[in-house]
Amino acid sequence: MEFNQVVGTRRSIRFFKPWKPVERSKIQVMLEAANRASRSMNADYPRAIVVHRDDLDEETRAALRNPTTTADLDLAPTYILWYFDLEYINGAQERLNELVDLHVLPPSHGWSKAYVDDLVWPQVLKPIADNQMALMFMGCVETGIAICNAVNAAVDQGLGTCLHAFTAADQVKELLHVPDTWVPVWLQLVGYPAEEPEAGGQRPRRPLSNLFFEGDCNEPWHEDLEVTEYLKREGMIQAPAPFPYRAQEVRMLSRMYGLPE
Amino acid sequence: MTVPAGTGGARPQLDGFASVRRWLDSPGLSSAPACERAGLLDLLVGLCEFTGKEPDALVAECLRTTTSGDTAISAKGRRRAEENIEGYVGSLGLAGHEALVAANRLRGFLIHNGIFMQGPASIS
Repeated sequence: MEFNQVVGTRRSIRFFKPWKPVERSKIQVMLEAANRASRSMNADYPRAIVVHRDDLDEETRAALRNPTTTADLDLAPTYILWYFDLEYINGAQERLNELVDLHVLPPSHGWSKAYVDDLVWPQVLKPIADNQMALMFMGCVETGIAICNAVNAAVDQGLGTCLHAFTAADQVKELLHVPDTWVPVWLQLVGYPAEEPEAGGQRPRRPLSNLFFEGDCNEPWHEDLEVTEYLKREGMIQAPAPFPYRAQEVRMLSRMYGLPE
Repeated sequence: MTVPAGTGGARPQLDGFASVRRWLDSPGLSSAPACERAGLLDLLVGLCEFTGKEPDALVAECLRTTTSGDTAISAKGRRRAEENIEGYVGSLGLAGHEALVAANRLRGFLIHNGIFMQGPASIS
């Protein structure tokens, strides 16, 4: 699938085919996509545990369930539990120096090993390491970028996926031996969609001019309509929800799985 | 408790409850066949009998008022509602898919009244 199509086709899928397992190779592609995501300091922020619903013992399945995610967990065959490791800052000095060696951070832009060792580490990274709020902020932002890559990789491979609040983190921590320094971010459910991949149409989005600006905040971004038309042809902008048969689609899927209507 | 047993005659009385009207007016049910709506109401009457509570009270018990005066879902109340639903469906002698569907239909009553909850899906 082309990039624009992937971005345009991504939906939060809530009805999966519970009987169809996700190939391990496809999960690896998702993880590698996350691993290749942009990351400040080239630090290793994300951590993930991949679990397959049918491999979980009853105790763990029960621990993951709560009144708000029961059906989701039943329908998705694979879960990816995303965290970041608060210790990501450790080794950042070495990784930056590695980037200097690789000519990624070049002198043309002011970088040198002396700068990393004498200034960046003591004056930038060390204060971050000592600042819990900064650690949390960067950990969440950078891991979110990685998860975004994993989400798009799932869509690219014909999978459905949805991010959920990580509500059973305490129970999971004990059952899956999660280190104390890992902070839960998102629970990602993965499977083959039982609903159409379009899931009833593209979700409403406000126009670019509501969100983005050019020059200053008094100047909304003005869309070039030719570009907008191009993105429609490319599949980034798709037919909006709801498709005329969406209500029926949801009703039929709900009946198939015995869910509330 | 003023809700009579699940007979045809009981259904019109259920319409007097705001929570029941809200449920029946939801997009999925408002156009459902009469027999389907009647079946749902019978289930609800049964739950009311089982718990000794009227429909509006079943919803209210899942809500609480916060210290700032806002309405929030009561985790304890929702858990009790889950237990009541499971207990009632169990008392009907249903099992497997049938039990799951009946329980989820009753969850639908609470869901359409603003109580966010999920039941298990029938996947086996």
